[in-house]
Amino acid sequence: MNCTRRNFLIGGSTTLFLSGFFPKISFASMQKKNLIIISLRGGMDGLTAIPVIGDKRLKKLRKKLILEDVLKLNSDFGLHPKLEIFHQLWNQDKAAFVHATNIPYTGRSHFDGQNLMETGAHIPYKEKTGWLGRGLLASDIVGKGLAISLPMPLLLRGVPQNNNFFPSPDFVETKLIDRIYDEFKGDHNALIKSTLDTIRQRPLSMQIATDSEDRKKLALEAAKQLKDQSGPRVAVFELDGFDTHAAQGGVDGAHADELEEVNEIVKILYENLGSAFDNTLILTLTEFGRTIKQNGGYGTEHGYGSAILMAGGLLKKSQVYTDWPGLKKKELFEGRDLNSTIDSRAVYNSAMSICFNKDPEFLRREVFWGDDLPNLTEDLFKI
Amino acid sequence: MSLNFYRRIAFGLSPQDELPQEPLSWALNQLNTVPDFLWKGSIPTEKELRKKYGEWVYGDREVLRKKFKNDKNAYRKAKDQLRIETGERYFELNEHAIRHYQTKYGTQPVFERFWLFWGNHFAISEKDFLAEFSTGPYQREVIRPNMLKTFEDMVQAVTTSWCMIHHLDNSESVGPNSKRGVESRDTINENHARELLELHTVSPRAGYTQEDVIQLAYIMTGWSHKWSRKTLETGDVWFDQEKHQKGEKIVLGKKYKNDAKRELAKVIHDLATHPMCIKFVSTKLCRHFISDEPTEEMINPVIEAWNKSNGNLIEIHKAVVTQAFKYNDTSHKFHPPEIWLMQLSRMFDLNTPLSAEKMNYAFKSKPTGRQGQLSWILREIGNSPYRAKQPNGWSDFEVDWVSPELLLRRFWFASVELPYLLKPQNRSHGFILRCLKNNFEDHENMASLIHQFRFGTTDKDLGRQYGIICNLPGVLKV
Repeated sequence: MNCTRRNFLIGGSTTLFLSGFFPKISFASMQKKNLIIISLRGGMDGLTAIPVIGDKRLKKLRKKLILEDVLKLNSDFGLHPKLEIFHQLWNQDKAAFVHATNIPYTGRSHFDGQNLMETGAHIPYKEKTGWLGRGLLASDIVGKGLAISLPMPLLLRGVPQNNNFFPSPDFVETKLIDRIYDEFKGDHNALIKSTLDTIRQRPLSMQIATDSEDRKKLALEAAKQLKDQSGPRVAVFELDGFDTHAAQGGVDGAHADELEEVNEIVKILYENLGSAFDNTLILTLTEFGRTIKQNGGYGTEHGYGSAILMAGGLLKKSQVYTDWPGLKKKELFEGRDLNSTIDSRAVYNSAMSICFNKDPEFLRREVFWGDDLPNLTEDLFKI
Repeated sequence: MSLNFYRRIAFGLSPQDELPQEPLSWALNQLNTVPDFLWKGSIPTEKELRKKYGEWVYGDREVLRKKFKNDKNAYRKAKDQLRIETGERYFELNEHAIRHYQTKYGTQPVFERFWLFWGNHFAISEKDFLAEFSTGPYQREVIRPNMLKTFEDMVQAVTTSWCMIHHLDNSESVGPNSKRGVESRDTINENHARELLELHTVSPRAGYTQEDVIQLAYIMTGWSHKWSRKTLETGDVWFDQEKHQKGEKIVLGKKYKNDAKRELAKVIHDLATHPMCIKFVSTKLCRHFISDEPTEEMINPVIEAWNKSNGNLIEIHKAVVTQAFKYNDTSHKFHPPEIWLMQLSRMFDLNTPLSAEKMNYAFKSKPTGRQGQLSWILREIGNSPYRAKQPNGWSDFEVDWVSPELLLRRFWFASVELPYLLKPQNRSHGFILRCLKNNFEDHENMASLIHQFRFGTTDKDLGRQYGIICNLPGVLKV
């Protein structure tokens, strides 16, 4: 990996710690902590990913969508068989789930919902930055965001110098960029100019050409970047296709295929981060869950409460963390959706607090306008 | 008025284009008729392509999967052969060629820009085999002929088109109190109703509720493809009374009495003429052509033209062009990759799309690399037109198109791929200078940036020249 000046300084001071000059600060606190978010666009069905076991009402309403065999988590909840890596990590206390959770949005529009899951706000399209971008900025972590996608996700916007990784089929001479760089003048060119800055400062390890259609390769490259002590601290993956209005399926089917992709990314990260996995948190993000009842096309409609899938060594323990609202008609949101009893932003705020070494109270004010988000760090994560 | 007006509302001027004497009337005069397609190769009808779609899904699902259920390799081989025979790998490439030929050579390029706009407003996102067989002909046969009619006419045509019905699952929507609903206990699918409100007409700002979505879905029940054992889901759209929810419906406070298939036209009339719809779509038009954040001063004349003409699209388009002209020198607009590519192709007379002769396909082997080249480039620069990820289509905001990788891909295209697309007679420095002069006031400054490469004629030298020129601020934006 490239040895920048910053990297050298960190390396130098680590030696001092090891030689006993600052005995009170542990070596672990110097380790870079990674926060990885996987966006699941379309509305991930929490009840397919983390089905509640033996609920008669669910069985009745979802005749065609019931999973015949699930991986067992505890007496109340199972795990979709395609999420096999989470089961493996569960047994090592490195996977956990938050259930019956969502952003505080009940409108059931994908586009408003996705805008809000990324901005963390209450009114669609009002905020132009993402909660993760603002969290990084508030924590003075600049130039450490990495998106594994072609566009820059809204989630990461708000802090300058983010990178993305989705390599083109061939190399580009960096001299070309240098030559036009000074031509980008004026406020209306500021975004392009700062993006060119980022390109010019990219580490050599990112200047590769590969097949970006291959998600496995991208996840592998992302793992390499994240493993690097001077590399990114935050990564965002993008998956879509969770909007299964038709032929949603059970163990196999449209929703299962998408879950399999999540599983694949987490598996590659786990296998390639090595010991850095112990200093990593992986969390999923979606705009809403799906209706309890199957629809006319053996799919489901847009709903409300969903689940967050979590993995990584910074988790406190394996658990399904939930304040379960129940699935009886009167317990459902508007009589049709799993309710959300945990504002998912509280989970994300707490995760940022752990990974960015910041007080959750501080982040709550800086990132989420002081909204009432309980501190879940002690419940969910290693402090 | 600066020369960038021709890129703001069209694709710039080609070496053959004459400089218009009166730019505004030049542009306005292009909007009164629907220009014919210039493409000399095959232009199959939507119906023909839907038949091919049917052959493909029937052949795969009903024949091959059953025949080769125990032999994965034989299945794969037979499936590849079926792809070739049905044109599954070919028709999208041909559609891209028809489209890009039109924007490169068309004599009404301003009309073509609006055609692209409406195709994206009523977007068909990547789903099943729509991009392969249907989205291209849908844009040609459903969007395009309606561009001289009213917005309401357009919404009516789009909403009952096979492509949109399939895209948004309306065939799966069954009224719970309909004959079918009572028998099978099937129920509605809200997808199409929600997007008709949210994306196509009034937008969430109209303040509709979940109950409005359900009621509109009830009205829409029955509009579905005709299913048969041979055509599967590719039959014509019809109104299936047996799936239609009976009784009165209320959408946005208005009652619609039980009136079977006539309910839909009535509710579309009310949605397409709703003030929030007019405001939403006018804003989107101004955003596309003028500025990411259009002001009320920019939008209001478009709304006025809409109201005055009862939603006539010719008048609406003219108002947008007039506003784009007015604000041409004081507003900036970043163009998404496909429009940028179309502009480069027209301004520098690139050798793309491939000629009709070379695009000819015999359904005997895979399409050639050359036949797939344009589609590959579109994919690599991040803007394959029929493959938007979601039903809201491609973004009109600069911030969604500026990331390190998206910019690098434009550098990659202009510096690595573009030289292969230069016609032999155009591989000179003098040619670039002429094209720049046709299209940019500050062509001298632009030329100075590539002056040192002026003697080079290899692909690499030309790549340096075009790599720089095509990515200058005044080329990425107007």
